[in-house]
Amino acid sequence: MSGPVHHPRVETLADFAAGRLDEARSVVIATHASQCGQCSQAIADFEALGGHMLETVEPVEMAADALETILVKAGVDANIILPEAPTQDIRLEKRLPLSAYMKREIDDVKWRPVAPGLAQSVIDAQGYRNGVLRLLKIEPGTKMPLHTHKGGELTLILRGAYEDEVGRFGVGDLADLDSEHTHSPKAVGDEPCICLIATGAPLSFKTLAGRIAQPFIGL
Amino acid sequence: MQTQRGNKPDISVMEDLLLRIAETGDRKAFSEIYAYFAPRIKGFLMRGGATAEEAEDLAQDAMVKVLRKAKLFDPAKASASTWIFTIARNARIDAIRRAAKPALDPDEPALAPEEAPRADHLCELNERNARIKRAFNVLPPDQQEVMRLHFYEDEPHSAIAERLGLPLGTVKSRLRLAFEKVRKEIGEL
Repeated sequence: MSGPVHHPRVETLADFAAGRLDEARSVVIATHASQCGQCSQAIADFEALGGHMLETVEPVEMAADALETILVKAGVDANIILPEAPTQDIRLEKRLPLSAYMKREIDDVKWRPVAPGLAQSVIDAQGYRNGVLRLLKIEPGTKMPLHTHKGGELTLILRGAYEDEVGRFGVGDLADLDSEHTHSPKAVGDEPCICLIATGAPLSFKTLAGRIAQPFIGL
Repeated sequence: MQTQRGNKPDISVMEDLLLRIAETGDRKAFSEIYAYFAPRIKGFLMRGGATAEEAEDLAQDAMVKVLRKAKLFDPAKASASTWIFTIARNARIDAIRRAAKPALDPDEPALAPEEAPRADHLCELNERNARIKRAFNVLPPDQQEVMRLHFYEDEPHSAIAERLGLPLGTVKSRLRLAFEKVRKEIGEL
């Protein structure tokens, strides 16, 4: 199996590594990275850069009793500490891939129809900085109206494929669009195209059809 | 193996200390890790605009996590500094999350991602980290500055632009250039 063809922009990966993305975007990037060795490596490299920043920053003295407080908070009252057993990868612990946010498998998602050939399911990922995270299902042959994304949009293909002005996006591919981009993706192939989409702001549709569809879609 | 407060120790010392905490819960090892990293986490957060009090609290939270999660540290995946950076970063995310949504437990269990292919060998990682630092150190000062702020600050890039008195577009293009250069330097772009 070959890896994804379309990847996040380098600055998006750098934002993720620095902890600057909202929660919705973090989920999309973490999910892409969990299947993309190249992006996962880039994130690890930028985290190493973060480590370098930490090493080289001017230190500021801690409170006199801080070490004692930390030991108490960690539940340490003797000279022996019992660290937690490993349970998960710390690197992505707080920026979980999609699986941790989904209450059910993709096949069991409750879809809400929003327009002919289009259905969505909103996922709650509002805990850390508000963005909107949703699954969108586009039936084969359905073309979304031309739209732009105020504040940008990250789209990860989970199933099927779509084609837009940029090219063909298949499973694992990620479209990292900013407010300069407009596109009108069309689902191609035999099965519905299911995408995971993070937006910082509602989509803005550029055509009349889009403007009509928008209130229904709730995008 | 005493490390001086404020001096930059041989970083492999730090990794040994973390492994000792993980293996035997060595309190002395932890106090050495604390002496080096806690004031740096605090300094890091204050450079990002946190007050001394906020930074102190967050640095303490991060050190509690370092202590409790030491067994998760894998020197083949990340250096001690990188690992502790990710813990401090996550502690900051947790704090914002708690403020935004008090009911949510930040330590909720979650499914771990699939392990992605990574550099597995320690020497490979060390070499990679050395190249990353070199790449950063040869960046022009203006790109170094925006990259530092990119990590310290968790406000939008527009806040960085304002702080530096630069147009947002300039900050963004400097950042993109800087990160692309670092990737290029390690042969990954």
